[in-house]
Amino acid sequence: MAPDGEVTLSKDFIKGLWKENPVIRQILGMCPTLAVTNSATNGLAMGLATTFVVISASTIVSIIKSLVPRQVRIATYVIIIASFVTIADLFLAAKFPSISKALGPYVPLIVVNCIILGRAEAFASKHPVHRAFIDALGMGVGFSWALILLGSIRELLGFGSIFGFKIMGAWFTPWIIMILPGGAFITLGIIIGLINQFTGSRTVDTSCH
Amino acid sequence: MDKRIIKMIVVLTATAVLSGGILALVYKKAEPLIEANRLRELKKAIFLVLPEAKDYKTVEKKGFNIYIGIDENGSQVGYAFVATGPGFQGKIKMMVGLANDMKTLTGMKVLEQVETPGLGNRISEDTFQGQFKGLSTEPEITYVKNKKPEKPNEIQAITGATISSKSVVAIVNKELKKVVKALKEEEVEKTYGP
Amino acid sequence: MEIILIFISAAIVNNFVLTYFLGICPFIGVSKKVETALNMGMATTFVMTLTAAITWLINTYILIKFNVPFLEYVAFIITIASLVQLVEMFIRKVSPALFRALGIFLPLITTNCAILGLALFAVLREYNFIESVVFGLGAGVGFTLALVIMAGIREELEFMDVPESFKGAPITLLIAGMLALSFMGFAGLLSV
Repeated sequence: MAPDGEVTLSKDFIKGLWKENPVIRQILGMCPTLAVTNSATNGLAMGLATTFVVISASTIVSIIKSLVPRQVRIATYVIIIASFVTIADLFLAAKFPSISKALGPYVPLIVVNCIILGRAEAFASKHPVHRAFIDALGMGVGFSWALILLGSIRELLGFGSIFGFKIMGAWFTPWIIMILPGGAFITLGIIIGLINQFTGSRTVDTSCH
Repeated sequence: MDKRIIKMIVVLTATAVLSGGILALVYKKAEPLIEANRLRELKKAIFLVLPEAKDYKTVEKKGFNIYIGIDENGSQVGYAFVATGPGFQGKIKMMVGLANDMKTLTGMKVLEQVETPGLGNRISEDTFQGQFKGLSTEPEITYVKNKKPEKPNEIQAITGATISSKSVVAIVNKELKKVVKALKEEEVEKTYGP
Repeated sequence: MEIILIFISAAIVNNFVLTYFLGICPFIGVSKKVETALNMGMATTFVMTLTAAITWLINTYILIKFNVPFLEYVAFIITIASLVQLVEMFIRKVSPALFRALGIFLPLITTNCAILGLALFAVLREYNFIESVVFGLGAGVGFTLALVIMAGIREELEFMDVPESFKGAPITLLIAGMLALSFMGFAGLLSV
């Protein structure tokens, strides 16, 4: 039993990283993905905040799954998610004011990030706690690395730095377009397109609904 | 049937009450820290535009706050105030420092703006903000394009971002007028007393 | 004057979809036909305007009055979810024809981040009641505009030879990027 269980757990974790990556494969959570990735640091911060919320919400949902009547489950999940988002928001504002300022209203918008409700509804409400936790962790890490990648590319080309460290020399003229909204759309479009090209697969256009 | 509805209500209420309670606790812990952060930011901005100030006190005049900068001997070094207005793409918010004579600026710092990256957002750069230090506000601040400013009330607009530069100048002029008016009225009150 | 500025800013200059990335999910998922896009846009505009009004009341008369700002997100998301339900029931009763046109979009609206985003932005900018409502309407119009333009382009795209790996989301994102850049041309409409 034990080895089997471990195999499932590692599968639960790994699928979020690549095969079911929320950003690159499922095109979920686009709003924060595009909005805050003008720098690698912002991408990392948003990734961590979202990971915290998805893990906490999935764990709680899995614990109380047998208590919640079917008709009110979405309402209950939404309250739980919104509460954890508030906690994350207050924490950032208290301890990391500059990050809180940079992410602005996109922290509270984690509430409607389809990844979180999606994981609660599709996975956590049907599986035991440890699997729900690992699944959420995988999704959170998968979401985070995609955001960091996007943020790094945009920051490198838009400011010539990554995580604030200058990479490009003085010869480099920053591509202003990369930090504009248009640059966010174009960069993500190209990343997803190229990944499709190299892996020979198509994006599963599930969207949240 | 009835039992199910009761269960629904109980679960929803319990969730709401629990989440409300936990959030209240977290808020109680976080709120003082958030407030302290806000004050620290404010203080930093005030001391930046009033370099000689070591402390400040807040006076409320006609709905807006004026911060009076004080140096180590307790004498007044100038006024600071927040000026807000429309820029090229959205709101621009600045901290402006005004000398005691109310005719010279002691500094300007952009607090918030959403101007175009690489062009308009260069209003946040020191080379632009620095021009406001020692700037004469009489008769009114103006800007020049593509050449060095000659008069004491002129700044040089950022190349490719004339509208953002123009907006900054317009906002400062407009808010400055209001502040000076409010301050002068206060002086009249002080001198002649009610 | 201020009111007109708020409307134009929300609808065009700082378009919700193309500048703030709000409502991207339906933008990428739904916008394949102009007519569907228009209906979806109208349903969303309606809910947005209503949401702006109600969340303003809740914020002013409950959250601020009882000094419980930390309940903002919970209160707003519950309001939006219940509001969408109510609107759905109401439309179904009053006008079955309208319901057939808009009904299927209503459930999608709850998870549309543009609605919550709208409520949050209105609080952040300290709008009064009228300004909030106009902001909601403007944001809705902006959302509809972006959705319809995108749908129009995608209808044409059907006949184009898009590389296999760029079909679907990637090409939509690339087009959205071009749209976002062209909408930047409207910046400056608002400045003094």
